[in-house]
Amino acid sequence: MPISVYDNHMARAATTSDVFNAIAEPQRREILMLLREGEQPVTELAQKLRLTQPGASKHLRVLREVGLVRDRKSGKQRLYGLHARGLRPVHEWTGGFERFWNESFDRLDAYVQDLKRTKRKE
Amino acid sequence: MSGTERRTPAQSATADREIIISRVINAPRELVFEAFTEVRHLSQWWGPQGFTTTTRAFEFRVGGEWVFVMHGPDGTDYREWISWTEIVPPHRIALLHGESRGDPNAFESVLTFEPEGTATRIEMHTVFPTKEMRDEVVEKYHAIEGGQQTLSKLDAYVTEIVRKGAAR
Repeated sequence: MPISVYDNHMARAATTSDVFNAIAEPQRREILMLLREGEQPVTELAQKLRLTQPGASKHLRVLREVGLVRDRKSGKQRLYGLHARGLRPVHEWTGGFERFWNESFDRLDAYVQDLKRTKRKE
Repeated sequence: MSGTERRTPAQSATADREIIISRVINAPRELVFEAFTEVRHLSQWWGPQGFTTTTRAFEFRVGGEWVFVMHGPDGTDYREWISWTEIVPPHRIALLHGESRGDPNAFESVLTFEPEGTATRIEMHTVFPTKEMRDEVVEKYHAIEGGQQTLSKLDAYVTEIVRKGAAR
């Protein structure tokens, strides 16, 4: 393998291995939104997005490779569906602020229970 | 975490720059609201597990400020500044949250308190001016949490050393 392969990888994770890069593309995000409604064949997705079928297929391949989309054969068709667990790294990355508050609310809950007991005694 | 949920405002125009955190607390609304109004209460629960606060100024009124330092369990200090923009007991509190007065990156959060049977649902709704700012804040808080993780790792490490030392 030429060394440039590594250089390239260092500079930017490949779209096909990095969820963040995969969802940086607006049309791929739109596909994910559409798939929330349920499994769909590529023809339907292409039509909704006004993309050519090969164009939509290319996006679906990327989404499948990073684990955001699953496909299965159904008769003559191939159906694509959302595999939302693949979004976990993104969710975790955005979790800082939420975790801060969730943990604060945990402590608030415990504190308010104490307050409740104290007030009852008064 | 039970009682915690995240609502995704799917179709909202601000969806990519807002954060909503909701929690049901098993206590009457007046009591939950009270825990937000006095520094002796706030200092008991503000921040994640292991955090403490030192208050420099506190005045709970519209336009009033809470100036304090938040101490992370790893010894890192974070300057915090809060100013209330709306107070409607026991329904609603709106506040600006930043690092100091005049912080250009201060953002507004609205807390609402709704009765749910004998319990109270708190919802914290933050809409950031831009998606970039939302991401920045998320990243900042991620760093704060990161410090906490570092400490718990250190704690585990020291415990391990002590255990091994004792076994010798």
